[in-house]
Amino acid sequence: MTSPVLIPNGCYSHDLLLHGCDDELVAATRAFVERGLASGGQVLVHSSEERVAMLRDAVGSHPRLDYGLDRELYLSPTNTLFAYERKLAAESTEMWVTGTVPLGEDPAGHAAWTRYESLVNEVLGPYAFHALCTYDTRTLPAETIAAARASHPGLSTGGDRSCSSVEYLDPAAFLTAPVAGIPDPTHTQPAMVVTLDSLQDLWLARHLMTRTAESAGAVARDTIMGFIAATHEVLVNALNHGGAPVELTMWVDISKLACRVTDMGPGIPDTLSGYRRAQPTGPTGLWVARQLCEEIIVSNPVGGGCSVLLATS
Amino acid sequence: MEPYSWDGHLLLVHNSEQQRRAGLAAWVRRGLELGAKILYLEPVEAPVERSFMAVLEDHEIRVDAAVGRGQLQVLPADDGAFSADFWASTVDEALDAGYPTVRWSGEAETAWRVMSRPAHAELEWSTDELCHARPVSILCQYPAALSQATLQTVCAMHRAGVREALLHISPVPDGIALAGEVDISNEAILRSSLMAACSSAQSGRRTLVVDLSRLDFLDVAGAKALVNGTSAHRMNGDKVLLRAAQPSVDQLLHLLGIDRAHGFILKGSR
Repeated sequence: MTSPVLIPNGCYSHDLLLHGCDDELVAATRAFVERGLASGGQVLVHSSEERVAMLRDAVGSHPRLDYGLDRELYLSPTNTLFAYERKLAAESTEMWVTGTVPLGEDPAGHAAWTRYESLVNEVLGPYAFHALCTYDTRTLPAETIAAARASHPGLSTGGDRSCSSVEYLDPAAFLTAPVAGIPDPTHTQPAMVVTLDSLQDLWLARHLMTRTAESAGAVARDTIMGFIAATHEVLVNALNHGGAPVELTMWVDISKLACRVTDMGPGIPDTLSGYRRAQPTGPTGLWVARQLCEEIIVSNPVGGGCSVLLATS
Repeated sequence: MEPYSWDGHLLLVHNSEQQRRAGLAAWVRRGLELGAKILYLEPVEAPVERSFMAVLEDHEIRVDAAVGRGQLQVLPADDGAFSADFWASTVDEALDAGYPTVRWSGEAETAWRVMSRPAHAELEWSTDELCHARPVSILCQYPAALSQATLQTVCAMHRAGVREALLHISPVPDGIALAGEVDISNEAILRSSLMAACSSAQSGRRTLVVDLSRLDFLDVAGAKALVNGTSAHRMNGDKVLLRAAQPSVDQLLHLLGIDRAHGFILKGSR
């Protein structure tokens, strides 16, 4: 462990506070808020109703300090992640955010929020974004704490100081670790398997996906259209970079759609490609796909080629 | 103009023989509905399975009676067949014989066997005039694998628009209307049509209308074609009005920042 240093202004930090009592939480939150306000930036404290009330009493108010509720701000990992990104891209002020991350209602939701914590480093890393994520060691299970240690580059030592975390994994490594809990739809029967030989087959793939998605009656039409558009962009990449044949497999149930796109090309050098905002002249397909679809996981399987898993939430 | 119309001087762009046949069959059906005189130019030595009659048979279009009364005719594509004067006089004869309208089709590759491409291009321009001046529809069949410059010129010379398997492009006042789907497989056709529409603009500032109300799908490559196909026009200080985009298309235009890009105006999105 390195010795604690002051959180620097003007750049990115993402620290983990492990606290065993409310006093520790209040003290760290107060110090973080003060640093944020002193930087001239916007500060947000978010958590559950009870905890926000407690922190508001302790920390007070300021024109640049907002309090928010997790259940309103943290609707889905991807939406939340890119909402922060859009705000940071549009504004030049620093953003300081502290609070809890909702951990989902089931194991899959829990794993998705765990991945969110890691992907924050990739997506928001280029911005003047500071986060202090507070994890309560009294109530959270050990594996959640372990995942948080692997997804936060900094460990808060209380006050406004932190040191780097030795257990930290960069997001690419995190996503391949068991702690990421990558979903696997392949244990159920696919609803559709189709092989694409050229760009001329894309329209057929889109139309087959649309028909197949009709049995997902509980998925909103906008979500289905976004999912198909995202899968289309991934298919374009597979055909252009991996080469034909490209295999598309689709799984459908009443409330969820998933697709896997595989090619036998050279694989993708950066599995986190498309998380950071696309440059106007650069490739944008995967970036757009990630904006339109809740879950996109890119991997280079052991057998070669590239595999992309897409799923609605 | 009705976005799916099969009238006027039309460009049929095909990626495959199947697509060519489907487009040709739709155009013939429309002609029979109108009671048109239908003429088809074909090489004398054309393989039977690729012939016009085989296409009609495949699509179950019965033309025996029409052939019998001379309404539907296949003409040999020799050098004499490719002359603007011959076409004009043939059209006049059919109109004099009482046909309300005349339709004419053939493959560009048929013409390229007997004449140079520049000479064929000249013929196409005068054909466009003929379709404008008389009740004539000419469907010109081109393979999709053309250079950007050729495709742009070919789009410009077919005033009634472009018919492709996924995408129909038709003229509207001050611009074009898109119907169907644009993706990476046909974005070059959109780009070329936009360039042609921009370059046919009057001198001076003007706004090119691109009606998106019947565009059901647009991908990233297609959205980039909207940008690249109009860049010279917009850099010149002129505007491009993207009208009535459907929600998913509108979402993509916003994600890519096209709503804020130089020279673009988005209006009436649903």
